[in-house]
Amino acid sequence: MLKHDVVIVGAGLAGLRACVELRKNGIDAIIVSKVYPTRSHSGAAQGGVNAAFDKDDSWESHFFDTVKGSDYLGDQDAIEILTSEAPANILDLQKMGVIFNRNDEGGIAQRPFGGQSFPRSCYYADAVGHMMLHGLFDNVLKYKTKILYEYFVTGLSVNNGRVTGVVTYDIKTGKFEGIAAKAVLFATGGYGQVYSSNTNALINTGDGMAVALRAGVPLMDMEFVQFHPTTLKSTGILVTEGARGEGAYLLNSLGVRFMSKYAPKAMELASRDIVARAEQTEINEGRGVDGAILLDVRHLGKERIMERLPQILQLSIDFEGVNPIYEPIPIRPGAHYSMGGIKTDNDGKTLVEGFYSAGESACVSVHGANRLGGNSLLDTVVFGRRAGISIAKYIKDIDYGDFDGSLVKRDEEIFERLRNSKGNERHGLLKTELQEDMRKNVGVFRERSLMENAIKKIEELKERSKNIALDDKSKLFNTDIIEAFEFNNILLIAEVIARGAVLRKESRGAHYRNDFPERDDENWLKHTLARLNGKGKVEFNFTPVKITKFKPQPRTY
Amino acid sequence: MEFTVRSYRFNPEVDKQPYYKDYILNGFPSMTVLNALMKIKSETDGSLTFRRSCRSAICGSCAMKINGISKLACKTQVNSEITKFGIIKVEPLGNLPVVRDLVVEQESFFGKINEIKPYLLGIRENSPDEKFHVLKDGEKITQPVFHKSEFKALTGNNDTPNCILCECCFSECGTEVVNKKYLGPAALAKLYRYIEDPRDNDRDGSRLVNASKPNGIWDCVHCQACEQFCPKSISPVKSIVKLHEKAIKNSITFSKGAKHIIGIANSINKTGRLNEVKVAIDTVGLLGLMNDLPVVFRASLKGKIPSLKLKLIKDMDDIRLAFKELDREEE
Ligand SMILES: Cc1cc2nc3c(=O)[nH]c(=O)nc-3n(C[C@H](O)[C@H](O)[C@H](O)COP(=O)(O)OP(=O)(O)OC[C@H]3O[C@@H](n4cnc5c(N)ncnc54)[C@H](O)[C@@H]3O)c2cc1C
Ligand code: FES
Repeated sequence: MLKHDVVIVGAGLAGLRACVELRKNGIDAIIVSKVYPTRSHSGAAQGGVNAAFDKDDSWESHFFDTVKGSDYLGDQDAIEILTSEAPANILDLQKMGVIFNRNDEGGIAQRPFGGQSFPRSCYYADAVGHMMLHGLFDNVLKYKTKILYEYFVTGLSVNNGRVTGVVTYDIKTGKFEGIAAKAVLFATGGYGQVYSSNTNALINTGDGMAVALRAGVPLMDMEFVQFHPTTLKSTGILVTEGARGEGAYLLNSLGVRFMSKYAPKAMELASRDIVARAEQTEINEGRGVDGAILLDVRHLGKERIMERLPQILQLSIDFEGVNPIYEPIPIRPGAHYSMGGIKTDNDGKTLVEGFYSAGESACVSVHGANRLGGNSLLDTVVFGRRAGISIAKYIKDIDYGDFDGSLVKRDEEIFERLRNSKGNERHGLLKTELQEDMRKNVGVFRERSLMENAIKKIEELKERSKNIALDDKSKLFNTDIIEAFEFNNILLIAEVIARGAVLRKESRGAHYRNDFPERDDENWLKHTLARLNGKGKVEFNFTPVKITKFKPQPRTY
Repeated sequence: MEFTVRSYRFNPEVDKQPYYKDYILNGFPSMTVLNALMKIKSETDGSLTFRRSCRSAICGSCAMKINGISKLACKTQVNSEITKFGIIKVEPLGNLPVVRDLVVEQESFFGKINEIKPYLLGIRENSPDEKFHVLKDGEKITQPVFHKSEFKALTGNNDTPNCILCECCFSECGTEVVNKKYLGPAALAKLYRYIEDPRDNDRDGSRLVNASKPNGIWDCVHCQACEQFCPKSISPVKSIVKLHEKAIKNSITFSKGAKHIIGIANSINKTGRLNEVKVAIDTVGLLGLMNDLPVVFRASLKGKIPSLKLKLIKDMDDIRLAFKELDREEE
């Protein structure tokens, strides 16, 4: 069995940032990832990363914007850390080799983003995630880090209330192996694949959250799912908010900039939840164009589009067959980001000793009920770094705990059963059924009866999933079995989302209920915590929101 | 629209040798090749094996040969392939060993990226002015100044930092076919990305020296395949040519490649003509030429040895002037 002081699961921005922090200080930390690090989803981030640099801007303003954006569900002590450490973190990345576009004074150029009262999103054309991911990964190489890529994590070893390692499946050989560790960090990203029409990579199946939940670790605020207002109509591929930051218009079938009705001041740059609902309302009320809304950048002119939005230009041509220089782009809301996740404190520590999480898989919570664009990349580096620092301290005077070897056997058996199953269900088709159902019933607009349909569907799929059979019986690079396992993960996550959403009887941020259209601070200004009980049932309780500086106010844009 | 996907299949665990399997499916208007493969996998044959992640041409997972050309499956429209070829034939990338079906072993590719030291060199760690600084109430941060012009070589639509390491260039690289040790276009483009970075501080030029050794920048044969097949419209070969220039400017001329170029320039500067014998001697030295005696002998039998004495050409003065101009420009 392998043994390393720290095992970092996930090689997106959060995992890599933590890794640099640990490796820089000579700590025995390794990376385990189901894909090669540069294939991680972070690379797809387009628009920008927020930090207040301008002399007329302030981190305090960024602080307030984020609290307001979160619809007051974000923990203010955490948001204070996020925003006051933001500029230093960006400069740190720059020192490590990340390139940002420059302004005329030689500083970092910044563009406006939704819900931000100042242009404070740092960018690299429209591929900032790519730039940051490769830049950070190059630093991980610099510190000669051991990387187990195409290793899939299936389990978390917990012994006497302490995490002692992980169970991994080597995709290339089909062998299970335990890795003992003093500390484990999950930086496993989000679960966009729970929904059809999403902006996420196909690998974003909420594995880390599901594995943690099964190991007894609670998840927080899972009912809050961000729907991005501008995703390509036919594929769900993202068109960055940076497009609206550069001045793009949203038009309905009458050619009207309808946002004037929903957010007269901020218009297209209102907070994401508000824009997504406005679009869905226009579509539902018959002012859509074939079930979509139009995003118009034509007035920006060819040159500016080519310089600032080259990727959007290419994606629209390649994936929608539309050239945005000459035609508006058909878009609609799509599932995009997981506000909820594994509950952590401000140093990445979860409720179980020796277990940490950072990035989209974690819920600190800095995003509360609605994340602002450009705050998630920031979250990955700020809290990835902090997790690295706190893990370094934690492992100093502690020994390895006992690894629970029975888990390797347990997961081996699950895989063996799948491999030999004679059932008649295909996981690929079950996944499509689940995704469609979640989009329809636990989507932008929610209500009790619809969500209960979704829960019924989930129960049905759980039964049917027992009859999943595989076409691929091989041990060598068997992706069929990985997809089956991933399906079980999104099914579990979908259940937590749906049940949490039924429970929360109010509308806040991204969680909007037709049957409870108002925010209800008296009863619901609190975080939801979900756990699995001994019988595999999801149970909930609550924990208070930390409010330090800003008392909740009505939220308008 | 009905069409056929013909996939290369090989699972060394059970198959004695590779074979092709046909799948017939129905398309939809904006269907990509990746969509088609996924449809096969989820609906009819879960054993078809390929990599994929972002499905938006940014992660580099899904590179494969499509109708003979290395491409990203997620960026390739079924329609346009069918129009041109009548079929979607998919095969694994070239120049890399096959693991299974469309999946190749990538260790050697990533190893080469690692070899060029893909990170800023000579950075001072934690010097006091660069300490991590958390802002207090009312405080602002000052940032270091880098002007746009300093990054000019690196930022723009089709530039090397946009490389997604998809391996299409590596798969199509002509040199890689004959020399498995060649660093390859992606690694060398990455080298250029860091050498041109204004923050890089490789004082003794170690990167360029290393890359000038065999299997590095001088092994490129300028076939342009890397540029032609890059799905992100990057041109590694342009970066490599710029590295050649940089090496010579910095007097890193120990390699045969550099000597060859200098020899050519000298010959033209002196006579206006290419004195091939002289260039050969300049490149490998007299001793080196001895090793090639058998070749020289066979060449002479076929009358392929150029004459040793070359007359000056008519417009020699113009040539010398051009060289002077070039020198001046460089200064
Ligand atoms: C299209 C798009 C554009 C975006 N643009 C922006 C933007 O402009 N600004 C912004 O702030 N945010 C943006 N976001 C959000 C942001 O990109 C993500 O939230 C962030 O990158 C997540 O990073 P991460 O490190 O937490 O996870 P990821 O980058 O998703 O990495 C997850 C890692 O975990 C590994 N992993 C997962 N499961 C397993 C397992 N079972 N075993 C082993 N390894 C596993 C994966 O291999 C991967 O390496 C965007 C998101 C999308 C979808
Ligand atoms: S799947 Fe990411 S590049 Fe094609």
